[in-house]
Amino acid sequence: MPAGTRIRTMTATMPTRTATDLTKLLTWLSPAFPTGAYAYSHALEWAVEAGDVRSERDLFAWLDDVLRHGSGRSDAILLRHAHAARDPAALSVVAELAAAAQPARERRAETLGQGDAFAIAAEVWGAPLLAELRASGQPIAYPVAVGALAAAQGVEVDPAALAFLHGFAANLVSAAVRLVPLGQTAGLRVLSALEPAVQEIAEGTRHATLDDLGGACFRSDIAAMRHETQYTRLFRT
Amino acid sequence: MDALAFAHQRARGTLRLSFKRRDAGTVLDGLRQEGCLKARFPRTEHGAWAGAVTLNSSGGVAGGDILDTTITAGPGTQATVASQAAERFYRALPSTAPAQVSTALHVAPGAALEWLPQETILFDRCAVERRLIVDLAVDAWFLGVELLVFGRTAMDETVQEAQWRDLIRVRRDGRLLLHDAIRLDGAVQSVLDRRATGGMARAVATLIHAAPDAETRLDALRQALAGHDAGASAWDGMLVARVVSPDGACLRTAVVAGLNALRGGRPLPRVWLC
Repeated sequence: MPAGTRIRTMTATMPTRTATDLTKLLTWLSPAFPTGAYAYSHALEWAVEAGDVRSERDLFAWLDDVLRHGSGRSDAILLRHAHAARDPAALSVVAELAAAAQPARERRAETLGQGDAFAIAAEVWGAPLLAELRASGQPIAYPVAVGALAAAQGVEVDPAALAFLHGFAANLVSAAVRLVPLGQTAGLRVLSALEPAVQEIAEGTRHATLDDLGGACFRSDIAAMRHETQYTRLFRT
Repeated sequence: MDALAFAHQRARGTLRLSFKRRDAGTVLDGLRQEGCLKARFPRTEHGAWAGAVTLNSSGGVAGGDILDTTITAGPGTQATVASQAAERFYRALPSTAPAQVSTALHVAPGAALEWLPQETILFDRCAVERRLIVDLAVDAWFLGVELLVFGRTAMDETVQEAQWRDLIRVRRDGRLLLHDAIRLDGAVQSVLDRRATGGMARAVATLIHAAPDAETRLDALRQALAGHDAGASAWDGMLVARVVSPDGACLRTAVVAGLNALRGGRPLPRVWLC
């Protein structure tokens, strides 16, 4: 039998690493995964009210900033370090930092609420470090929970960071479609235009240390603070 | 050899300052001043509160400078530390390391400490790594502020490029409460022009207040900041406010209003008023 035939049979029956990673990530970062993401607007609700986001173009600019200079980049760094943590103490350090790096009460609630919900759902697959951390009562930010589950399940960190950032962007576009409001097609155009930012931040945080955390999205932080006093609210943040 | 020659020109400064309680008041406990960092002690009229004013005799911070300050408010003390003048961060030579500015504040049980430096003024192509590390006892009272001015607009100064890293870390009883990292690398002005970042702002302030009853002052702080591009939030016995302004003068107006809302009617240190 020619050697080539045998190899072709092997690849057809054994799923590749990419295929198993992708299958899990599509589930974990799907809008249907029970993290309650639909309830959070990352202060877009205030940005719309204040007139900072009124159009498709505004939405793209705001989200591109948040990805590149704000929580998108910081969350990607936290996810990567949670993924690299090999023991409970190391994961606890990343979790403590992630919880303390939030600029406002609602932003803290947004990341910790989704992180906790994700950690509960993660038990279906199993992530011993994550379960131990949660049992100790330590608050777990969303990117930390995703990084820890991906590591426990042998999912590579690069696609996990990419999927997380994509999920973040898609969730906020979906919130804005309701808030601005925008048509579905306009929302999709924004999501399509954000692809470079999502890819560049996922890629650009590959070698970042925890000292590289930080940003300059001051007005996004202020929006999160002002959302707390917004009179009519559809979203928790 | 050139590197060594440059190294000799770089400023070094160390300041160690501590306060202790004596009878009903607060007095200086220890003082060590080395290099360009110094402290002065204006007479205060505010009852039990002690005051200190720091100054940098090198006239500004350049690439490679290393400044290190530690301030300790001992048990039961009340102290306000301000700076004599705005601190200037000058253009760094491409070959020098970023300036390193570290400040550690320790606030003991039953103590209150105010860290009220005046504006930090950035110049084009400055390179700075700054850290403010605050360690609080479980019942400590703390108020701190940092004002960043990205070029004095009245002087037509702009900060096109810079490498700016500014970290504020607050721990209470050993637990990390806040890790607030500002990071602007590269094209600072064009980043600040964007809407979710600065919205064309040229000045940014962060105000932090931690105390067992800090959250009760949130409404007062919000009222004080109303009318400015600013927000305030409270959680975990801590209050955090952020302000962005078109220039340093507007920023100072907002910050003074915010400080007045949190300081129970005590007048600001005299250096803030001139």
